[in-house]
Amino acid sequence: MSSTAIKPARPSGAMTVASALRLQHVLPVVSLVVVLSLWEVVGQSMNPLLFAPPSRVVGAFSGLIKSGELLAATLTTVSTLSVGFALAILVGIPLGVLMAQFPRFGELLSPYLYGIFSTPRVVIVPLIIVWFGVGYSGRLFLIFLWSMIAISTSTTDGVRNARPDLIEVARSYGASRIEMVRHVLLPGAVPFVVSGLRIGAERAVVGVVIGEMFLQLTGLGGLLVTSAKSFQTAEMLCAVVVIAVIGTILITALDLLEQQVSSWKRRAT
Amino acid sequence: MTAVITTGATSVPTRSMRWKEPRRHLLFLAGVLVLWQLGNLALGQLVLPSVPSVFKALLEITLSGALIKAMGESILLLFLGLSAALAIGFFFGVLIGRSKLAQWTLSPYFSALFVTPTVALVPLVLVWFGFGLSGRVLVVILAAVVPIMLSVAGSLRDEPGELVEVARSFGVRGEIALLVHVRLRAALPVILSGFRLAVGRAVVGMAVAETYLRLGGIGALINSYGALFQTDYVFASILPLTFLGIGLTKLVSRVERHFQGWQS
Repeated sequence: MSSTAIKPARPSGAMTVASALRLQHVLPVVSLVVVLSLWEVVGQSMNPLLFAPPSRVVGAFSGLIKSGELLAATLTTVSTLSVGFALAILVGIPLGVLMAQFPRFGELLSPYLYGIFSTPRVVIVPLIIVWFGVGYSGRLFLIFLWSMIAISTSTTDGVRNARPDLIEVARSYGASRIEMVRHVLLPGAVPFVVSGLRIGAERAVVGVVIGEMFLQLTGLGGLLVTSAKSFQTAEMLCAVVVIAVIGTILITALDLLEQQVSSWKRRAT
Repeated sequence: MTAVITTGATSVPTRSMRWKEPRRHLLFLAGVLVLWQLGNLALGQLVLPSVPSVFKALLEITLSGALIKAMGESILLLFLGLSAALAIGFFFGVLIGRSKLAQWTLSPYFSALFVTPTVALVPLVLVWFGFGLSGRVLVVILAAVVPIMLSVAGSLRDEPGELVEVARSFGVRGEIALLVHVRLRAALPVILSGFRLAVGRAVVGMAVAETYLRLGGIGALINSYGALFQTDYVFASILPLTFLGIGLTKLVSRVERHFQGWQS
């Protein structure tokens, strides 16, 4: 689920390590070249309205960059995404700590959070139009709420999994509830919080795209829908690629952070 | 890879949902409904429809058959999409899990598909496949196939060494026979947890396809009420979808637990 790239397997005995390593890097490139040329050949022979070969996608890409359209759309998407995700972190972590500190409250609240979390966001859009209108705040809400739920439930798991011996020591030294949270529970929960951030980031990327496609046509999602309406397949593919790249960067960064944090924890304990 | 799949799944708030004390939960639910009703008084029927009006709407769309028809279409779409995603995910999962050549040439595309939000692919699918059922089924496949493929590939890569040895000494010969009788059976719990993720994503894919294409199913029903600003009907038609998603996920995790018990 988490690692987007598949971990390379150990080379089998027949191959030497060096040649296997080389193949591992060469083969994806070879396959990419084959797929792109097949796509080019098929694309050239098909209705240009429906199918854009890579050469036209590259052309559309440079066109969109020259007109500044792509940069503006990307900036809109990234800034909304950052604000929504930051809000989700700011609310999600404290809520998660609260739910762990007051387990009864957490247990009562979690079915509702779970219910919201498992409702597909596209169907909430009509409600968001009624609540927030078709503007920035509605798009923020689509990012914020779902991402926040992922972060808070993960934080709750982390705080609940705190080491009992450390809690015992802190308690015997008379630590207050807030000191306990700050010095014992939160540091111990960091790996969980980071994995919550990763799930939250996935949700946030989907949320920003839904908001831009269904609520207010702006940013990369808006670019995608407007080019779809005029059958500009090449422009659509450009928007999809940039969205995928943003998602990959964000999730890979959090994956790396997660590995870092969990290995640090393993060394420390 | 296998460990990664299971941790990813448990962080989602499934586990914390326990119904140990039904009375306290009922009281809390009553509190939520009272708050909702107060919100209705403060904000008005359009923003937050009253609890009775939502129930009335739910009853009405159930009795008129609109809800049942829409849910039927949605469940059919889910069934077709998930079956196809299972078949495709299994095929490529076995290929990528057992052959390094396939892994190095094919897996980057699945990784790319996995990070691309399914919503962003829907306009492309629409242009290429039109408004028909095939386009909608394809959206569900795109949403659901990667977790299945990853779990099959990941679990086949971890060699169940002892089991393979035992099977060989009992006369199971050939890679295919080993695959079917030993490796896939040993991998079942992990594959099921991948399938559980796939079901969740498939429900989202289904809703996205129905909303964008505005043709049939629960997604289209919700949006047609939304376009008329009938908020009570919107709530009444969202609730069954939420319960469908939760119910399906619970069903798979029940099967999952059954097979986990067998293994340990």
